[in-house]
Amino acid sequence: MTIYSLYIYDRHCACVYYQDWHRTKQPKRAGEGGILNAVSQAVSPLTPDGVAPTPSAFTSPRNTLSSTTGLVVAVGEDPPVQDPVEHARSSTLPFDEEAKLVYGVILSLRNMVKKLSGRDEQFTCYRTSTYRLHLYETVSGYKFVMLSDAATEGLRFVLRQIYNGPFLDFVVRNPLVLMDSQVQGIDNDYFRASIDRLVRGLSVFN
Amino acid sequence: MTIFSLWAHKVINKAGGLVYQRNFAGSSSDGLAQLTSNEYLVLAGTLHGIHAITSRLSPTGSSSGAQVIEGETFKITILLTATGTKFVLLTSLAEATAEVVLQRVYEAYSDAVMKNPFHTPEMPIRSEGFDARITSLIGAGQP
Repeated sequence: MTIYSLYIYDRHCACVYYQDWHRTKQPKRAGEGGILNAVSQAVSPLTPDGVAPTPSAFTSPRNTLSSTTGLVVAVGEDPPVQDPVEHARSSTLPFDEEAKLVYGVILSLRNMVKKLSGRDEQFTCYRTSTYRLHLYETVSGYKFVMLSDAATEGLRFVLRQIYNGPFLDFVVRNPLVLMDSQVQGIDNDYFRASIDRLVRGLSVFN
Repeated sequence: MTIFSLWAHKVINKAGGLVYQRNFAGSSSDGLAQLTSNEYLVLAGTLHGIHAITSRLSPTGSSSGAQVIEGETFKITILLTATGTKFVLLTSLAEATAEVVLQRVYEAYSDAVMKNPFHTPEMPIRSEGFDARITSLIGAGQP
């Protein structure tokens, strides 16, 4: 039993916050402009000074050496070493696309549940063979989405706690957070630490 | 503990087409909205798409598609067979036998539909034998 990740979306369909815990398949970093600023440092596009320097012409993997006999010999060098973390991520989706897929799924399921029930009924969760997704939607249109192990029971109460506690304290009541700005996420140190403490304290975490 | 509705749908050209749909006694009393057959077709197509996406969103390893989808008062149980046919059952949240019922439906489908020489694959199921098997399994349908 464990908890994998948390996404928060605002009413403009944009992902404004992301955090993960026991994910083995990490998403790739989002492309430039793919997500808002201040969503999560772990998945934001690399800043210009953080980008790995591009190899110059002098470190090209192939060196041509001209021998005295007039033959041209090509010597291959070791391929450039790939960052192991980035390499492990290569089989998965970039974060911006993953966030859109998650939003698409919850929106479609929400509409399907409303249509089938014929009243204003909320979609709460779905389960596959390896994980379970929980949704809690606030009146203001914020959607809290949590991915957990398939064996866990309903976790909407946790999402509600996150909304009632950390979210109200460190986002809504924080004058430095631009809510509804459509350019800025809601990530800040206190919010992240507070959610981390709350989630790690759960009995289903581990 | 009521069973509302049963759908069977089959993959046709990678789009989920609905081949069988039937509502049961529970659905009118306290349950779900009555939809037109066209609306059921649209929902079945949507469900097919969602099912494919949910298997890609797995945070660990490879995953199946969604198996159970829950609302506040009902749940949708999905059985995906090896051949790509999906059986979907809409029940109340407390219904614990949905998976077993779907296995039985699959058996009935194999016996009464796939062994029927007059059945055209990928087409809607119009078979009295299958209807009778479902009736004995779940209960009387609604007109």
